[in-house]
Amino acid sequence: MNLYGDLGNIITLVRRCEWRGIEAEVVNVKAGDKVDFATADILFMGGGQDSGQKTIADDLVSRGPAIKKEIEEGLPALLVCGGFQLFGHYFQTSEGDKIPGIGVFDAYTVGGEKRLIGNVVVDIAHLASEWQNQFGQASGGATHTTLVGFENHSGQTILQGGTKPFGYVIRGFGNKGDGGYEGAVYKNAFGTYLHGSLLPKNPWFADHLIMCALNRRYGHVDSLIQLDDSIEISAHDAAIERSKTAKTLSI
Amino acid sequence: MRKFLAILAAETARAISQITKRGSGSALPGLVAQKVDPAIITKLSDMLPGGVILITGTNGKTTTAKMVAGILEAAGHKVIYNFSGSNLSRGIASFLIQHTNFWGTKMTGDIGLFEVDEATMPEILALVRPKAIVVTNLFRDQLDRYGEVDKTAQIIGKSLALAPEAKIILNADDPLVASLSKYNKNVLYFGIDDDYKTQSKGAIDSRNCISCGAELDFNPRYFGHLGNYTCPKCGVSRPKLDYSLSGLTFSVEDSKATLVTPNGKTDIAIQLPGLYNLYNALSASALADFLGIKGDIVAKTLGTVSAAFGRMEKIALPDGRNIFLMLVKNPTGFTQTIETLTFDEKPKNILIALNDNFADGTDISWIWDAEMEIIQKVAENVIVSGIRAEDMQLRLKYAGYDMGKVTLEDDLAKSLELGIAGLAAGETLYVLPTYTAMLELRRTMSSKGLVKGFME
Repeated sequence: MNLYGDLGNIITLVRRCEWRGIEAEVVNVKAGDKVDFATADILFMGGGQDSGQKTIADDLVSRGPAIKKEIEEGLPALLVCGGFQLFGHYFQTSEGDKIPGIGVFDAYTVGGEKRLIGNVVVDIAHLASEWQNQFGQASGGATHTTLVGFENHSGQTILQGGTKPFGYVIRGFGNKGDGGYEGAVYKNAFGTYLHGSLLPKNPWFADHLIMCALNRRYGHVDSLIQLDDSIEISAHDAAIERSKTAKTLSI
Repeated sequence: MRKFLAILAAETARAISQITKRGSGSALPGLVAQKVDPAIITKLSDMLPGGVILITGTNGKTTTAKMVAGILEAAGHKVIYNFSGSNLSRGIASFLIQHTNFWGTKMTGDIGLFEVDEATMPEILALVRPKAIVVTNLFRDQLDRYGEVDKTAQIIGKSLALAPEAKIILNADDPLVASLSKYNKNVLYFGIDDDYKTQSKGAIDSRNCISCGAELDFNPRYFGHLGNYTCPKCGVSRPKLDYSLSGLTFSVEDSKATLVTPNGKTDIAIQLPGLYNLYNALSASALADFLGIKGDIVAKTLGTVSAAFGRMEKIALPDGRNIFLMLVKNPTGFTQTIETLTFDEKPKNILIALNDNFADGTDISWIWDAEMEIIQKVAENVIVSGIRAEDMQLRLKYAGYDMGKVTLEDDLAKSLELGIAGLAAGETLYVLPTYTAMLELRRTMSSKGLVKGFME
């Protein structure tokens, strides 16, 4: 599924690998395709329209056990919007249909009355200690503990048990539309509502996914080759500034 | 009597808003008139002897409407059309009132032509009884405003069902648009019949079968999800074309093709580049043919039509230099515009201006779906500007541009100066702005005396 510029996430992962001499191959998985998730290094699933979601959901559920096994063993995954919702237990649409998910996250989604739209800034400092030395190591040495993006969702995702949010909303609506928490994390799987695209303007998080992938495949990898991220950082900072003035919508 | 009072109230509102200089006064009179007489639109539009024509769809509405108006006028009609783009119902009410006599007993034109936003279709169809409705295409556009494209199709479809008498003229090459025939069977189809193939990958617009969800086969695909398609699983395919274009030839600034209608063949040449403008010409020709206008009038008029305001405009500067303004508003349109620039291989000076105001779409994710990679071979110098200039700069970096050739200038007026200053004699600056960036750039050009004021 691809909607809302999710292609930017793929482009970013591929480029940031290429620039470091790491070969990257993109495999598009369509409903019914044969896939061995053990050979995957990073799993990505984006948002789709509601109609696309139903088709994809059946296919995803059939792959649920295989995906969960790899996630348990550390497969890094980025799940945006529709993908995030389907990695929870279920998504109950505003029409009352219940679309089952695969339950990677102890979370569920209910269709809301309103669509929440606008720029988002989230604080992910609570993950910093776990990400260790690769965290925030974009050029300039500054530690980056924010992510910027754009949300557009009517589904509200409620985390249960001890499920950790991905971030805490500084500006925007977040999972429940209340400006509280955003997304979910389980092992190396990250669910979020952030488009934008997410990864281009948050290169430290893109690099974290790449680090996780390298660690899983090759054992302990200490650091990545530093890239010049000045253009990425200027876009990140400009997005934070814009979020202060741009209007958000709740319709 | 009620109609008269409504018109009187509207005219009063217009006069007051002009005296107090509150806005342009374009929607207020209509709003007032609708309060006095909710049926004002129905009453006035029914007075048009040639009926009402609606044009909707994501891209090409305004340019198509402009072409249709030109053709109808050349054929001797007096057309009233809501050219200024105020296409909510109160805008249309205002507009109709402006084109009636004082007593509301006679319209000043014989045919009404309205460009209607997809989301406004149900509101308008509840009020007018159109003779024909053209649906140009359905692409992802400003999602943050309308939700999702499937929902947009449903909204349009349900409104088409409200107009059983209207002839529905559909783009057969767009599977989603073609599927609208299930809501109203009184249909004519237009499409391209040529072996032209796009260079773009078109990864973003849904290419799945509307009926069964399988991925469609295209032979060929023209752009985005438009093409001659068949579903390998359930057999759904592009409907038979009533109107088509074949023998397409393009340059960066114009295009040619042969128009085939049930009434014969005509060669057409338009002073606008890109396949999307040929689609506009095709839908306008289909509508004209349906209205009984002869092919030679259609061809002659199309040859002289310029693009709608700010969509595509060539502005002459001293020393044979030019500015070529090309509006971009969604990923497929952006990719098409870029592809147009590669129709010749001359190195080009390009200014991309990205804003994220409401009219531009506040979510700029779409730039990642535009295939910026294509332009590489013709981009000599690129300036990025606008509210989200940094995002565009980043997009270019990940498209693999030589960032030494990219200049960031947040300020739009300065970016234009910079772009013009970089032109040698005889060179063109290709300016690709989003909507509000286009307005601002045009204001700058107007203050420098390069273009005339806002209204044409």
